[in-house]
Amino acid sequence: MYIFQVVALLIALLYYGNAQTSTVAVNHTILGSELSADGLKQLAAIVAPQSPVFHPSRGSYFSLNLLSAFPEDLEVSDYCVELLAIFGQRYSTYVNCLVSAARPVKVCQNCYGSYDNLMDIYTNISSDQMGPGNVSCRDSLLRSDRLMLVFLLYNNLEDIWTGSECNSCVSLGLHSLTNDTLYFMATLNQSLRCFEKFQQGNHSALCKECKATYRGLNELYSRMEKNRTLCIDIEDSMNMTRRLWSKNFNCSFPRAENVPVIAVSSFMLFLPIIFYLSSFLHSEQKKRKLIHPKRAKSNTSLVNIQDRLS
Amino acid sequence: MHPSLLQDSVRGCPKEIPHNEKLLSLKYESLDYDNSENQLFLEEERRMSFLGFKCLEISRWVICGLIGFLTGLIACCIDIAVENLAGVKYYVVKQNIEKFTEVGGLSISLILWAVLNSAFVMVGAVIVAFFEPGAAGSGIPQIKCYLNGVKIPRVVRLKTLVVKVCGVICSVAGGLAVGKEGPMIHSGAVVAAGVSQGRSTSLKKDFKIFEYFRRDTEKRDFVSAGAAAGVSAAFGAPVGGVLFSLEEGASFWNQMLTWRIFFASMISTFTLNFFLSIYNNKPGDLSSPGLINFGRFESDVSVCLLLSSPKPCVISLSTVCLVLNPVFNILNYWLTLFRIRYVHRPCLQVMEAMLVAPLGPDQSEDYPLQLFCADGEYNSMATAFFNTPERSVRSLFHNPPGSYNPLTLSLFTLTYFFLACWTYGLTVSAGVFIPSLLIGAAWGRLFGILLAVWAVPGKYALMGAAAQLGGIVRMTLSLTVIMVEATGNVTYGLPIMLVLLTAKIVGDYFVEGLYDIHIKLQSVPFLHLEAPATSHWLTAREVMGAPVTCFNRIEKVGTIVDVLSNTSTNHNGFPVVMPVAICGLILRSQLIVLLKHKVFVELARSRLTQRKLQLKDFRDAYPRFPPIQSIHVSQDERECMMDLTEFMNPTPYTVPQETSLPRVFKLFRALGLRHLVVVDSENRVVGLVTRKDLARYHLGKHGLEEMQLAQT
Repeated sequence: MYIFQVVALLIALLYYGNAQTSTVAVNHTILGSELSADGLKQLAAIVAPQSPVFHPSRGSYFSLNLLSAFPEDLEVSDYCVELLAIFGQRYSTYVNCLVSAARPVKVCQNCYGSYDNLMDIYTNISSDQMGPGNVSCRDSLLRSDRLMLVFLLYNNLEDIWTGSECNSCVSLGLHSLTNDTLYFMATLNQSLRCFEKFQQGNHSALCKECKATYRGLNELYSRMEKNRTLCIDIEDSMNMTRRLWSKNFNCSFPRAENVPVIAVSSFMLFLPIIFYLSSFLHSEQKKRKLIHPKRAKSNTSLVNIQDRLS
Repeated sequence: MHPSLLQDSVRGCPKEIPHNEKLLSLKYESLDYDNSENQLFLEEERRMSFLGFKCLEISRWVICGLIGFLTGLIACCIDIAVENLAGVKYYVVKQNIEKFTEVGGLSISLILWAVLNSAFVMVGAVIVAFFEPGAAGSGIPQIKCYLNGVKIPRVVRLKTLVVKVCGVICSVAGGLAVGKEGPMIHSGAVVAAGVSQGRSTSLKKDFKIFEYFRRDTEKRDFVSAGAAAGVSAAFGAPVGGVLFSLEEGASFWNQMLTWRIFFASMISTFTLNFFLSIYNNKPGDLSSPGLINFGRFESDVSVCLLLSSPKPCVISLSTVCLVLNPVFNILNYWLTLFRIRYVHRPCLQVMEAMLVAPLGPDQSEDYPLQLFCADGEYNSMATAFFNTPERSVRSLFHNPPGSYNPLTLSLFTLTYFFLACWTYGLTVSAGVFIPSLLIGAAWGRLFGILLAVWAVPGKYALMGAAAQLGGIVRMTLSLTVIMVEATGNVTYGLPIMLVLLTAKIVGDYFVEGLYDIHIKLQSVPFLHLEAPATSHWLTAREVMGAPVTCFNRIEKVGTIVDVLSNTSTNHNGFPVVMPVAICGLILRSQLIVLLKHKVFVELARSRLTQRKLQLKDFRDAYPRFPPIQSIHVSQDERECMMDLTEFMNPTPYTVPQETSLPRVFKLFRALGLRHLVVVDSENRVVGLVTRKDLARYHLGKHGLEEMQLAQT
């Protein structure tokens, strides 16, 4: 028994030591590639790289100095570096477009082209097909480290695209806006032109003249809401128009029926009171007949314990 | 001498008083939980093989699983039906509003809305008031009484289940301030009672299985499992369900039963989860373990801050409990008393329900309502009102600080408080859990907003909800576990428990819990955990009923029939004496079966080929034994003799005359007895103690008080 415990302890110590050494290499998560022994030694020797590293002869977009220390089979291939550069360019184009279309929101209309391009290059990078020179860029660019930066960046933008529901406004293949969207935009422009015409002076004229177009716009919007063909552009422009109409021009449909509503509500509140009063006055009260069960005669002749206690 | 007593003895006629809560009704009997170990029973046990016993054990487990499964299914159906009905109603009203608002017909929409609500509620109230009045209310008081051992008539019938489920769907879809959790518990109990018997008396179908379980002992145990399954389906809290059954039926308990009940509740919540996920087109999602979902509560620093926050916070929280909880119960008590006294005709009850309906908040999905607002803006007060209460509770718990306007919230709390108080007790199937949670969450959140310093207001909302619910229903152990399981985070266990304890202690000083109030108002002879303190001076002699109608061991049929047909005394248990000393106890139900099968001594001699009466015949007649009026006994048969030896319980429990009341009480309650015979030193029968004799003593404001019996 004792010997078994000692042996178990020794084995546990061995495993512990092994675990310690293997944690050194945990940052290095190259999938499927074998690390040569001296490669590991070289990696371990490098403590902290100072800046992003690529070979100077491979294009001037990134600053490079330290990768010359890395062995050949760990480098990213030229082809993949090119793809990465294109990705970067298209990424910043798209983001610039987004920011410039942030308020008022026009991200779907203005930027669907750049998103299409971005999607293309990412699909290219993440595809399974081998590029020239029999290299797959997916592993080396997307999954080589813990951060997975390219993947993260693209996912963020994809989430923004999905969140703005631009797919409802842009045709399949992202070549153009849908017919519904274009029709809505045309109607919207009509209303805005009408507002512009009557903007000066008293707004009552505006309220009267533009009421028809505004109502048409509202109905179109409700229809589109039901069909779920709305994207953030349309929602936002509708919201702005509504605010213009109600707050700036003060044209909200008059709620002249405050009095009837209050009358109806108070009537409904009054009914129960009448009901309870009438049932109190007219219903016969439910009475209970008391039963005195047979009990044994106790020492005193009193049955009620209240009297016994008093 | 007491003046009224003097008057009675002079007048000689029973007094009539208006209904109050200090009465006990004669119509409630005890369940026959104690097993009658007559010779038939011993014979059956002898005949049963070891395999037979094992089969019985396995069938108990199978039944519990089935109970859980069916309860989960019913909960699923209720949820889906409510969703669809409310959606349809809201769609119709919204269309109408959009059409008429501009023209100026908002009042028309309002009327349409009120009419739709009233229509739904009318259907719900009609089926409850006219078809099955026992399905009114939440059902928890009735189940509490059943688990206590009181035979509430028609509480676990199929008709009650159908009326309850339809009623709750109509009430919730009709927009009343109610919840669907209480009715779920009742439904679970009915399912359990039905499934465990293996037959349906209402539908007259007998599946010829589970015949061993056709007696009160087994049925009551299964009803505990059903109630637990109901709680578990309602809240997604299996352990809470088990504890609920434990808290209510605590005196008769054993460990195997706990295991089976736990199994039933687990199956119930899993079934509900599974089918709701399929319905929502997300199979495998399994994210809705109960009808109500509190959302995800993360453990973070705010819980520590809550607990360590300075005394004023905790004290002021309890002060609000102090004010709101007893007020709710007291108001509801007066309202229920008024309803029992004056609104007792079914048509009046339906009318009352219809009048409440239009004023209730709408309970549809979260469609914002543009009332009196600019285009594109929505009334925040209306959104608070016009949401399902479950969703409102969830948003009160989880919305970021600043989502609610304090003024709106306080107005909402006040309005909803009175509305919920008014609604509970109507003749509709409806619960009070969700409204209390909502009221509590609202003022808790208000509290958190006003404090605004330490914890997130959402956590205060949770504490407020727990406090309000605890103060209204006064369940401590099971409610703590239910809330902890519903929030999905054990870290909140301690704050919730402290809050519930405070609410209970403070509330008990003023008034009882809501369910206890309703039980008292229904005049049910409910036996509490213990006999009232300071009652040791009362002996069995003062408590018992005497003189007792006894039978001889071989008794004339005519005497038996006359005794049973005597309508002035509705005795159900008769000691059997021979010649004066007690030798057994026989029940009315057993006598009726014997009379029906004409088991007379004379006939037995001449009827050698006919089979002897077996336990199966008694079980077949259970539970609705025919009344004595339907048994025809000819004049000749009246002269025959009946031998009760084989069928009586040969060893009934007896107590000497000088036994104190608490001792008698403990024996009665712990064993679930129905009759307890009081004997003297020579084993002669002196009296009989029944539930009503024990339940009438309670500790009032002026010491020990006695409740009176009344005909209801």
